[in-house]
Amino acid sequence: MRKPIQSSERGNVLLCVLCTILVVSIIGGNVLLNCMTRYNAASSQVRSWKESIDAAETGGDIAYAEVRKKILDPTHAFSGWTYSGGVYSNSPVTYGNDSLATSAKVDLFYYDPNGNPWYRIRTTGTAPVLGLKRVGMDDRMGPNNHGDSLLRKIDFNYDHFVATYGPNGDGLNKALVPVSRPQVTRRVELISAPITPFEAAIKAGGTFYGLGSAAYVDSYRSSTGAYDPNVRLNPNDPRYIDALSGTVEINSAVATIMGNIYGNVYTNGGTVTKNTASITGIIDNNVPFSLTPFRMPDISGWTYVSNPSAVTGNTTINPPAAGSPESPSYYLMTSFVTNGNLTVNAYNNNGTLQETYVAMHVTGDVGSTSGQGASITIANHVHLEVYFDGNFGAKAQNIINNSGFAGNLQFYAISPTDPSVQQTIDLNSGGGSTAGFAAVFYAPSANFTVNGGPDIVGAIVCKNFYANGNVHWHYDRALDNTGDAVDYRLISYVEDTR
Amino acid sequence: MKIKSSQNVAGFTLSEMLVSISLSSIVLAAAITSGVSLQKSFSAVDNYFTTHMQQIRIIDYLNRDVKRGLIVTTSVDLQSVTMSLPNYIIQSSDTEGIANPSLVGTPRTPTISYTSSGWQVNYSPSNSTVVYSISGTSILRTENGVVTTIASSTDQLVPSTTDVELANTEYAKTSVTFSPIFTSNGSVASRTGTSLYATAYLRNKRRG
Repeated sequence: MRKPIQSSERGNVLLCVLCTILVVSIIGGNVLLNCMTRYNAASSQVRSWKESIDAAETGGDIAYAEVRKKILDPTHAFSGWTYSGGVYSNSPVTYGNDSLATSAKVDLFYYDPNGNPWYRIRTTGTAPVLGLKRVGMDDRMGPNNHGDSLLRKIDFNYDHFVATYGPNGDGLNKALVPVSRPQVTRRVELISAPITPFEAAIKAGGTFYGLGSAAYVDSYRSSTGAYDPNVRLNPNDPRYIDALSGTVEINSAVATIMGNIYGNVYTNGGTVTKNTASITGIIDNNVPFSLTPFRMPDISGWTYVSNPSAVTGNTTINPPAAGSPESPSYYLMTSFVTNGNLTVNAYNNNGTLQETYVAMHVTGDVGSTSGQGASITIANHVHLEVYFDGNFGAKAQNIINNSGFAGNLQFYAISPTDPSVQQTIDLNSGGGSTAGFAAVFYAPSANFTVNGGPDIVGAIVCKNFYANGNVHWHYDRALDNTGDAVDYRLISYVEDTR
Repeated sequence: MKIKSSQNVAGFTLSEMLVSISLSSIVLAAAITSGVSLQKSFSAVDNYFTTHMQQIRIIDYLNRDVKRGLIVTTSVDLQSVTMSLPNYIIQSSDTEGIANPSLVGTPRTPTISYTSSGWQVNYSPSNSTVVYSISGTSILRTENGVVTTIASSTDQLVPSTTDVELANTEYAKTSVTFSPIFTSNGSVASRTGTSLYATAYLRNKRRG
């Protein structure tokens, strides 16, 4: 008789195998657990946190594009956005493989002294957190350290921001809002500031020729005193620092420069020829820029005044109110005849002259190159902006700005809609070599010509520049924040890290 | 009837026992050694990844603050960074918060001013000061005196930040290295091999 093998011996083997599997499983599980923690943190949470700021900044870009349209394409600015309570808002935009979402709110929160609006852009960007619902790795840093949680605030079940601070972050309308899946939301606030056009003495989008051999371009700052021709030659003068900013910017390779430039010269890949030694500042041949066509600004906030409606002969404007930079008295002129003589007076309030803001749109030419050309006189306290659709012709002696501050007399040449039409601005000195004026011109589509040697305080932005005389050109550094907005730039960035 | 003795229940001979014990000891020793080595290796790798995550965290903290910074300066040894940030949220100790407690925790509307360097956006008269520094094995972030340990590791984390100022912009280049605990020689190469780099630009107009 043969005894069968006892089953208990097989049982021991099975037990050993199970124990081995258990040990291996525990080790494997531990490894997997650690791996998943890191995978969650590294792959999902860090990625989502970075993607959410990308989304928020994308929302900022979208809103910024709409703000720029306020200048460049006003009729389509904020098209499709909702406007309520002074705030533009858009529907959430979803993009990318990870379905990032962004939305923005834009409000006009400030008018600067030029009457240009400043816009605040508030955006949110949301990115889903994929993977398991696991917190970060604070546990690995010891007690009381919450580096991950303080940095990357993940909404697993509810939007913590709305629950704690309200949807606008102002403590109002707090609510427990469930989220459909774990997500990270980041919020940024951007400030969009207007760019004013007169940041250099002369800025030519095309070619440049000039000035005369005895001409010069220098600068001063009217807020620190009147122009003094000796300052630029005296390094010990405290105003000397403001005397060497007669900068000339040329967006072409053609730059024929004569005379003395007390400032920098920039070209777009060009070689400065002729009197280069007379340039006190730097010569940089790698400064391209573009000038966008100028359009008539939004006049909806301006106060329309019907009379006069044309400048024929001697025409005087006595504004009915002082107005303000953002709401000037507005005149629509159907013509400004060749020998038209316009005088603009300040608003008199019970014997006290007020700072008076006047805007004028001439739908044709302003004067001409024949005869006397246009004559314009503005009294002290007057801030006049002249917009014109056609050409401009005048003698320097006939442009009289009694305040002496160029920013008080601004000319804007509205770009022709027909690209084959070449707009022109012609200034003749007249009245001797010292005759001059204080004014600024923004004419990105016009050819600007100066004949003779007038004495000019101001700045010019034009297409092609030509001057053949011994012009004395004084750029006022106070002009760098003067004028209508010609574009916008973002100058402030804040993240709401709560 | 004679009972037949069974060979199956007989014991092992001494030589069999010696051989089996020897083999078992070798196998057990190998298993224990392997286990200890694996445990050490696992611990080292675990530590490596944990420290790597902290590298990322340091970079993320720094980049977030640099982007919204107004002024960023680095110490001579490049291991301490001081930055000035806009005071976006009204705090209870702020003038507005004291005057009107309901404003505490709300965002400020900025004011605009014009200076010799151009337009400036100001969220409050004073700004927040944030300092990143090393303390022992920890990396600290101190905002207006409040200290947060943002990273801590026995792997000797060392951030190094360079502040680069250009005419129209400014950026901070940061590298964070550590010396993994499983490298016994502590060579420069072992630290260099763990380097993590990042560059962040100031989004605000530079004031410093």
